[in-house]
Amino acid sequence: MLRILEFLVLGVCFAAILAFSFWLGGESYSWMPAQASTDAQRVDNLFSFLVTMSSVIFFGVAGLQIYSLIFYRAREGDYTEGHPSRGNRKIEIFWMGIPVLLVLWIAGYSFSVYVGMDVIGPTTVLGDLPVPLVAEPAEADTVNTGSQSDERVADTVNIGSQDDERVEVISKQWSWTFLYPSKNVTSTELHLPVNRPVRLILKSEDVLHGFYVPEFRTKQDIIPNRPIELRIVPILVGKYQLHDSELSGTYFALMGANVYVESAEDYAKWLEQAAAKTPVIAATNQAALEHAQPPKRLIRSNWYTVLPAEPPIVNHSG
Amino acid sequence: MTADNTIQSTDTKRGEDSQSGYRENWWQYFTFNKDHKVIAIQYLVTSFTFFLIGGLFAMIIRGELVTPPSDLVDRQLYNGLFTMHGTVMIFLWIIPSLVGLSNFLIPLMIGAKDIAFPFLNALAFWMFPPAGILLMASFFLPSGTAQAGWWSYPPLSTQNPSDPVLNGQLFWCLSIVLLGVSSIMGAVNFVTTIVRLRAPGMTFFRMPIFVWSVLSAQLLQLFFLPSLTGGVLLLLCDLSLGTNFFEPFRGGDPVLYQHMFWFYSHPTVYVWALPVFGIIAEILPAFSRNPLFGYKSVAVATIGIAVISATVWAHHMFTSGTPMWMRILFMFTSVLIAVPTGVKEFSWTATVWRGKLHLDTPFLFALGSAAMFLFAGVTGVMLGAMPFDLHVHNTHFVVGHFHYVVYNTITVGIFGAIYFWFPKMSGRMYNEGWGKLHFLLTFIGANLTFFPMMPLGLQGMVRRIASYDPQYQWWNVIASFGGFLLGVSILPFIANIIYSWAFGYKVSDNPWHATGLEWTTTSPPPKENFKEVPTVTLAPYSYGRPQYSTVDSTDEGAVRRHHR
Amino acid sequence: MSNFIPSRELPKQQPQSQTGAQGSDPESNRGFFSDDERGKVLFGMTSFLTSESLVFAAFFVAYSALRFSSTNFLPAGVSLPNFDTSTIIDTVVLLSSSFVIFLAERALARRKLNLFRLLWLTTSAMGAFFLSGEVQDWLKETLKLSTGEIGGPFFIITGFHAMHVTVGILLQTIMLIRSFIPHNYDKGHYGVTCVSLFWHFVDGIWLIVFTLFYLWR
Repeated sequence: MLRILEFLVLGVCFAAILAFSFWLGGESYSWMPAQASTDAQRVDNLFSFLVTMSSVIFFGVAGLQIYSLIFYRAREGDYTEGHPSRGNRKIEIFWMGIPVLLVLWIAGYSFSVYVGMDVIGPTTVLGDLPVPLVAEPAEADTVNTGSQSDERVADTVNIGSQDDERVEVISKQWSWTFLYPSKNVTSTELHLPVNRPVRLILKSEDVLHGFYVPEFRTKQDIIPNRPIELRIVPILVGKYQLHDSELSGTYFALMGANVYVESAEDYAKWLEQAAAKTPVIAATNQAALEHAQPPKRLIRSNWYTVLPAEPPIVNHSG
Repeated sequence: MTADNTIQSTDTKRGEDSQSGYRENWWQYFTFNKDHKVIAIQYLVTSFTFFLIGGLFAMIIRGELVTPPSDLVDRQLYNGLFTMHGTVMIFLWIIPSLVGLSNFLIPLMIGAKDIAFPFLNALAFWMFPPAGILLMASFFLPSGTAQAGWWSYPPLSTQNPSDPVLNGQLFWCLSIVLLGVSSIMGAVNFVTTIVRLRAPGMTFFRMPIFVWSVLSAQLLQLFFLPSLTGGVLLLLCDLSLGTNFFEPFRGGDPVLYQHMFWFYSHPTVYVWALPVFGIIAEILPAFSRNPLFGYKSVAVATIGIAVISATVWAHHMFTSGTPMWMRILFMFTSVLIAVPTGVKEFSWTATVWRGKLHLDTPFLFALGSAAMFLFAGVTGVMLGAMPFDLHVHNTHFVVGHFHYVVYNTITVGIFGAIYFWFPKMSGRMYNEGWGKLHFLLTFIGANLTFFPMMPLGLQGMVRRIASYDPQYQWWNVIASFGGFLLGVSILPFIANIIYSWAFGYKVSDNPWHATGLEWTTTSPPPKENFKEVPTVTLAPYSYGRPQYSTVDSTDEGAVRRHHR
Repeated sequence: MSNFIPSRELPKQQPQSQTGAQGSDPESNRGFFSDDERGKVLFGMTSFLTSESLVFAAFFVAYSALRFSSTNFLPAGVSLPNFDTSTIIDTVVLLSSSFVIFLAERALARRKLNLFRLLWLTTSAMGAFFLSGEVQDWLKETLKLSTGEIGGPFFIITGFHAMHVTVGILLQTIMLIRSFIPHNYDKGHYGVTCVSLFWHFVDGIWLIVFTLFYLWR
């Protein structure tokens, strides 16, 4: 009788956990920032699925542990065995087999999400080739001569669609510069047209950096002397924050830039206006500002630091 | 009650044992002693000292993150602090403290007189404090400590802003290489001991899971540590000798370093975690009075984790210039590691299920560790799902997941082990009330500190930043509060251990009524561990046999505990 | 307290958990090696050498990867490391010393102590000859540590190997001195066996180093 009651209680608990997990999966969308790119929607769907599945496993197993903790306490001084069972082949195979299926499901689903995503990462393990740029054919000069590299260049060209907007992203300690080759405009703000694929050619002039806008749900490290292409399709007009995502030294935390996703007209207008301006030294460079005038702090080490690089000269300074 | 007489007789017996010179001679802990039990205590105490230092760094970091602007320490120091925090906690706390526990337990558990090469063992220990001191000394350099994170990714780590000869990064490299050599000595010792020095009858499938875990972990050290040592040596050459291995503008490749680094540094997570899984597998059966459920599959899963862990390293590099095929391949291998790990978690749960649980401190720590590892595990699988990882990589989500592994699972597990084997190490019992208080503070503090990092990471807060956007402040304040609570939680532990080591009441040889060879010898064990070489005839975890169902009346500790 | 059974009522043998009478179990002696000192030492040495060879492997992989991928592997006007007869002579000497040390060990096993000392010393001398040749090679070399992606790997890898040769010679010297201690080999000679193993390892590594820098053109 007690057994049946126990099974009943456990069954009800499990059903509750299942229901709760599905609710949690739905809720998980609200834990993320706004969905500002096509990839963001895909990643959030994946995350919701992961939350649901993890929640079933987590609350299921932790629930069993807590249940044991509450109901299976020994009386004081009772050192007799609980049960002498050393194992059960069927159960062991079950809990080896089910997780295999579950993780393959997760990996398979992630795979399909990834294939659908717009990102393009690098193409080789080491020493990736510079991406051929429309505006800067000179880049191709640094390409290593050899039969392999010719194939690789062909590859990169095939992926590329001439329709995409191209922006060159130049990172250095600790500032971002954005170059729009179509109008030869430079800026310290990243302006992007909405609903149109953008190819960002990521470059670094000193150490590793990382391109990360949380609202776009994607991230790419930037490797010096090895331009990497990142493809994004912004879908939500708004202002976002770009942040360096790979530790880049003393003023790492200050290495941010504003990102504006705008309608096609606004974008074209901004580009026109910027092109009309004469290039000036970028006014706001937080790292340089802070280096010149360090704020008051409780503990100061005064250790040496790499100096902030010269502020870039840009048409548009945000 | 005749108990008084019995207590008297055990006391005199113990007096004779300790005259053999293991406990009374406190000064031997400061000498080049070759006894594995002495070396074990040396490791544990030294690494715990570094744990306190690393914890202090962490609390300064949490202090800085209470408010959005950078206002507590300057940015160089902040970078130095998190670099040192990571390095200290990994290389000077987790690894050596587990080596300490293994040192104490392995010979006892397999019925050996000592470790295979006692001289090498002592030598390995005595390389560890100098390496730690070297690392700490870099705080006094004018250019400060290494500031490139515990990964020390070039070219940042070789950027070298000040003195080309004496700089923190050089000290960091030398310290890591020194610790690497020490670890290899340790690994050779442990593997040889386990393979060659088992007592008669101690077949592989009679070894406790802790021994299996240490064997797997030390094999990982043996095979993968060379990659880190090699990588750091090349980094050192780039830094100080002018070579170009990782210099991108002179033909080198920084991503190569990342491969060499993670080829070791992912398996190393299992070098830390596996022994703790072993500890959990020792403690849970003893306090639930059940045999470990599915012993053989757990043993095989241990080896399985070690094997699979060799094939997953690039999941740390999903965003760092890794081509598509590699991202996908490593995603599949990474999520597969959840399977053998799951076997362990399920086995622990089944062991506790329908048991007769005794909620003593070691059990609370072990079950707490197992439960929090569950959270670490499911977030780990999430991170393995590569498209999601592209979003949260290098954010606080990863930091939270990682700390659920290294603090909430590993460190909590180590505390459990110290409480569980404290009677064996010292011959005395710790104070149960203080132990429970320590657990409560740790459990609350750890979750308060590391859970808030999850939502922060999802929202996009990048790791390793000293100042942040005000929108992240709320969770950061909670995490910082938890961090300070964790700092406080360590105080009852210190008080308890020091007091009990000196004044705790003496216990019998097997106060927990546990199985395992280590409990058949005296507490603390005599010089060569066993009066005569034991012969093993049973599988481990033979709970359910009548002699473990009884309370030994000669067992003063148990009598006191149960008449409390 | 219903299950409280005072231990007095149990047979005295009981609390000895996993131990029991010897020989009662056919498996009881499996896995028992603790008196096999030689086996233990050789096992330890082999595991150490496995680990050590992987440090070299890490270097070799790094070098090969850079050779394949770097755009600046061999800067203009720089050639691969010099490959002349002296290098070949060094290599032949080092590799044949492996054979000499094998003979030395065999002499010791047959208790021909003087022959052992002679052959052992010859091995060290051959090692020293190799080292001096190596140093001359470095001095003649036009490459520098900072030359492209060839200089660093060349000096670091050959240097790391030379360090191992030096350690090998030191260990051999210690073994040679110890051979003059009376009754040194009464309990076996696994110290000598270990040093000889180490020497074979060092020679084996040189073969790969030689292939990577001199044969791979």
